[in-house]
Amino acid sequence: MPVLQEYKCPCCGGGINFDSSTQKMKCPYCDTEFEMETLKAYDDALKNEQADDMNWETSAGGDWQEGETDGLRTYVCKSCGGEIVGDETTGATSCPFCGNPVVMMGQFSGALKPDYVIPFKLDKKAAKEALKKHYQGKRLLPKVFKDENHIDEIKGVYVPFWLFDADADANIRYKATRVRTWSDSDYDYTETSYFSVLRGGSIGFERVPVDGSSKMADDLMESIEPFNFSDAVDFQTAYLSGYLADKYDVNAEQSINRANERIKKSTADAFASTVQGYSTVVPESTSICLHNGKAKYALYPVWLLNTTWKGEKYTFAMNGQTGKLVGDLPTDKSAFRKWLFGLWGIASAVTFGLTYLWWLL
Amino acid sequence: MKRKLLSVLFAVVICFSAAIPVCAEESLSRLVDNADLLTDSEKTSLLLLLDNISEKQKMDIVVVTTDSLEGYTPQEYADDFFDYNGYGYGENRDGILLLISMEDNDWYISTTGYGITAVTDAGREYMSQQFLSYLSDGDYAEAFSTYAQLCDEFIAMAKAGEPFDVDNLPKEPFKIWFNVLIALGIGFVFAIIVVLYMKSKLKSVRFQPAASSYVRNGSMNITQSGDFFLYSHLDRRAKPKDNDSGGSSTHTSSSGSTHGGGGGKF
Repeated sequence: MPVLQEYKCPCCGGGINFDSSTQKMKCPYCDTEFEMETLKAYDDALKNEQADDMNWETSAGGDWQEGETDGLRTYVCKSCGGEIVGDETTGATSCPFCGNPVVMMGQFSGALKPDYVIPFKLDKKAAKEALKKHYQGKRLLPKVFKDENHIDEIKGVYVPFWLFDADADANIRYKATRVRTWSDSDYDYTETSYFSVLRGGSIGFERVPVDGSSKMADDLMESIEPFNFSDAVDFQTAYLSGYLADKYDVNAEQSINRANERIKKSTADAFASTVQGYSTVVPESTSICLHNGKAKYALYPVWLLNTTWKGEKYTFAMNGQTGKLVGDLPTDKSAFRKWLFGLWGIASAVTFGLTYLWWLL
Repeated sequence: MKRKLLSVLFAVVICFSAAIPVCAEESLSRLVDNADLLTDSEKTSLLLLLDNISEKQKMDIVVVTTDSLEGYTPQEYADDFFDYNGYGYGENRDGILLLISMEDNDWYISTTGYGITAVTDAGREYMSQQFLSYLSDGDYAEAFSTYAQLCDEFIAMAKAGEPFDVDNLPKEPFKIWFNVLIALGIGFVFAIIVVLYMKSKLKSVRFQPAASSYVRNGSMNITQSGDFFLYSHLDRRAKPKDNDSGGSSTHTSSSGSTHGGGGGKF
């Protein structure tokens, strides 16, 4: 049975959170702050304590049918004794009864331990602000969506990412043309010269991220890229306190294809940009080999915001480090028509006026 | 002897005085409708118009219709008709003649004297575009009066020192419906581009195609590089012939006088 971890304030005994603005652990009850370094030692000490907790058992055996608990894990809150039900990937959450933040240690131990974590830099308020800004300047967004809109749920999630390092060896042959035109008194000449262009070499990529959680839409996660890796620190479970966290359920082997695709495309682009001075460049044969591939496991901070409008669910994601927020919005059909016909009328009138002026001149 | 000489002189004078009125404007009308294309009232009003313009501009504006060219080319027929019927003002016999032959649906404009200056090749082309549709429709009266009015306009411009020519043609009338259609088309394309752009702003979730933000700094290393010329292909296209420098081309008619002009079919 997995083990639950709560970070208790050594001062008052309350559950403590990671505070994104000070980048420290902070007790919401007595405002005491703790350095992450301090907690690292504390973290280690806690690990040793875990032995005592290994004997917890799920209560009321026999009630669950076989297979029913496959996707579920239950934990017992250390503060209030309430039962916390999470799914098998939940790594951090808060107790539904007492609200204290808890971290499931077992989800991040051994081979499951992430190599890095980028701590949250932006808080809930920043996410709400970003959403408001996201609505601005969008003329086809239904007005009521903006006005009636309320955020159903807002949560800070540490999303598991696989980070792939790789060197790419590329050998690409292009067919390129160069066009020269000139004319004399009788003829226009167009000379098209054909070239075979070869480019070979290598290029390195580091930490190409691939979403390792099947719960998160891959396109949503790629849209809030890039994360700035210079802020990443070695993983400590304490950073998860106060946020939700998932462990990966898509393993590195399954994720690698996506990384390969992107690396291949980037390599091809980078080499194509070195072929210059031609009118057209078309790759004829491309061979890209990847080697020295390495995968690391990291948790990246993401704010997820959910809203519902007319029975449809809209999900927004904000990069918890850079503040980049994305999310598709609905189109106001009547506004679309109004703008289309309005602009059509205005543009036609202006064009007609211009043709008339042109005729007068 | 002296008497005889006088009588000869008298005869010559008679001859001349008899001949001159024939050559002068009264004898031959400026409208010769041999093909009988116009009604009497149309004839009267057209002739009045031709006479008015001719006297105002001191140039003969003539309309001739015929059923047969009698084996001549339209050019020969028109030039000779002008020469041998004594049209033309002044020493240079200034005039413009429009010939319509129903034999093969030919039209021809013959210009003489100042007419050559006033109606250039490009100007004649423009003029024919204005009246040809009337000719084809059989609305001869309208065609002829259009021609007469254009002659008036052309001569006035030439006298003002700016004859209509390649780079100085009168304006086509403003085609309202044509321009409305063009404007609607351009307006729609513009509107759809703008609105689709607005719509595209609502979508922000998409896959990243590449990984260019994760390229290790300075890791790109080109070890092999070669640009080889294979072959080339030369395409030569004749320039559209545009050596029409304007002015009027001229020729000499059977009577030895110089004419400009040109024509075609309707």
